[in-house]
Amino acid sequence: MSKQWMFDEKADFLAKLRELVDGGVDPHDLETMTPFPVHEADHILHTRTSRLRFFTLAGTLTGLIAGFAFTIFTVMDWPLITGGKPLISLPPFLVIAFELTILLGGILSFVGFLALARLPSVKNVLQPPKEYGNRFVIQQRGEE
Amino acid sequence: MSSLKGTFDQLERDVLAAMAKPKKSFWLALAVSSLMFAVGMGCWGWQIYKGLGVAGITNPVGWGVYITDFVFWVGIAHSGTLISAVLFLFRAKFRNSFNRTAEAMTIFAVMTAGLFPLIHLGRCWLFYWLFPYPNQRLLWVNFRSPLVWDVFAVSTYFTVSLIFWYVGMVPDLAIVRRYTTGVKQWIFRIFSLGWRGTRYQWEHYGKLYMFLAALATPLVISVHSVVSWDFAMSVVPGWHTTIFAPYFVAGAIFSGTAMVITLVVPMRRIFNLETYITVSHFESLAKILLFTSMIVTYSYIVEYVLAFYSGHEFEIAHFLYRSFGDYKYLYWLMLLCNSLLPLTIFVKKLRRNLTYLFILSLFVNVGMWLERFVIIVSSLAKDYDPYAWGTYTPTLIEAGITLGSFGMFFTFFLLFTKYLPVLSITEIKEISE
Repeated sequence: MSKQWMFDEKADFLAKLRELVDGGVDPHDLETMTPFPVHEADHILHTRTSRLRFFTLAGTLTGLIAGFAFTIFTVMDWPLITGGKPLISLPPFLVIAFELTILLGGILSFVGFLALARLPSVKNVLQPPKEYGNRFVIQQRGEE
Repeated sequence: MSSLKGTFDQLERDVLAAMAKPKKSFWLALAVSSLMFAVGMGCWGWQIYKGLGVAGITNPVGWGVYITDFVFWVGIAHSGTLISAVLFLFRAKFRNSFNRTAEAMTIFAVMTAGLFPLIHLGRCWLFYWLFPYPNQRLLWVNFRSPLVWDVFAVSTYFTVSLIFWYVGMVPDLAIVRRYTTGVKQWIFRIFSLGWRGTRYQWEHYGKLYMFLAALATPLVISVHSVVSWDFAMSVVPGWHTTIFAPYFVAGAIFSGTAMVITLVVPMRRIFNLETYITVSHFESLAKILLFTSMIVTYSYIVEYVLAFYSGHEFEIAHFLYRSFGDYKYLYWLMLLCNSLLPLTIFVKKLRRNLTYLFILSLFVNVGMWLERFVIIVSSLAKDYDPYAWGTYTPTLIEAGITLGSFGMFFTFFLLFTKYLPVLSITEIKEISE
């Protein structure tokens, strides 16, 4: 059996949450649904910091390396001096590498977010939670 | 004080009222803008049929209205990112009333801007030659060319802005799905991805938003710098200067802020959003406008000082030509619109007068368009060799395509106000508690 409480006020919601946790309920069994991020609740429930940063870091590094690798590979693939400039001219390649850093960083952050937040959720697309948006909800998962 | 839920319900109803049956003024605006769009498309069709000769661009002025439009629209896009990302990082609360509109504006402006290189190509169906792939002789594109940088910069900008806009909208789409039925609800169900607002979803969401803002901030600076290097990398007098990148970035934010004012003042009136977008919010925007106007003016001065201090006779001759030559009226009109008129908003009364701000923003839009026109055309008209000098006058086709670009931008924007929540409901809830 899972239990559910709904509140119109943030203060009531936080009070109940505190009461449940103080009463010995494991925070892992508690799920909240709020219309906006409530940091006090994260504090009560000891929500872990998101690991999204690793996705962002991986994306930006991949972009940076790919940008330089791609430009250097293409000029070496058919060495052709243009404008009297060195084949591997880093300043202009930096522009490409920079843009790819941002591009892959952005895309991979988004992908990482979807993976971590378990979105899109087929179950919730088919049955959207009715009360999302203006109420504060606590759900407690059952024993079994 | 009424309950939080009551406040929230009221907020949702007010914002989503814009998505209900619109007023006559909305349909009128949509009709006018789509007509403009159609005119522009017709002109482009004619140009494709007859060839690029129907445009006024020829030697020596090979870059004319199309490139002016390109730079203008990329510039408009920039303040969208400024308002949503940079002000987010600075925790400026007043951004909440504008960020959705400004981001939408960014997307549509980049889409409009992206068309102009294609229009300018003449044989636009060969646009994919811009992409970095080896041609039939296995030669790759020249990565030292600013035009290739442009492809990377603008496409990255579009992608990242789109992600940022969409991510910001997901929780709001989840709200809209409660207010809609049938097919419409299904669309919102799918695009809200089954969002529930659980504590871990919010945790990841907050981080994502912050990272995207942090990535978008240097991106926006790089994009207009790259656009400015399209000019500054060449050795044409009037273009070949190191001040171009910061100068263009400031100009972009300046013109974009003006465009936000142009769009939001009527939008607020049509959709009765006076409670959520207050005069003080506009005052903050006006201050950004004033500040960037002064940076732009300073850049104008520095440009001249650099030219005269360099002792380079072609540079000096060019800048004299710019202010006293064939395009002198446009130049002085530009100074009036960009440097003099914005100074009036030092007066608090004018800064808080929305009608005045709206009219001023129109002048700034005109002024910033002229700025790009003057920079591009006057430099090309007279470079080093007097034998190759010439002047340029835009043709009706070019004017029609420019009109069409405004039509396209406004059409998309109006459709956005009709089909998506124009304010960030979630963020306003967050600060209103």
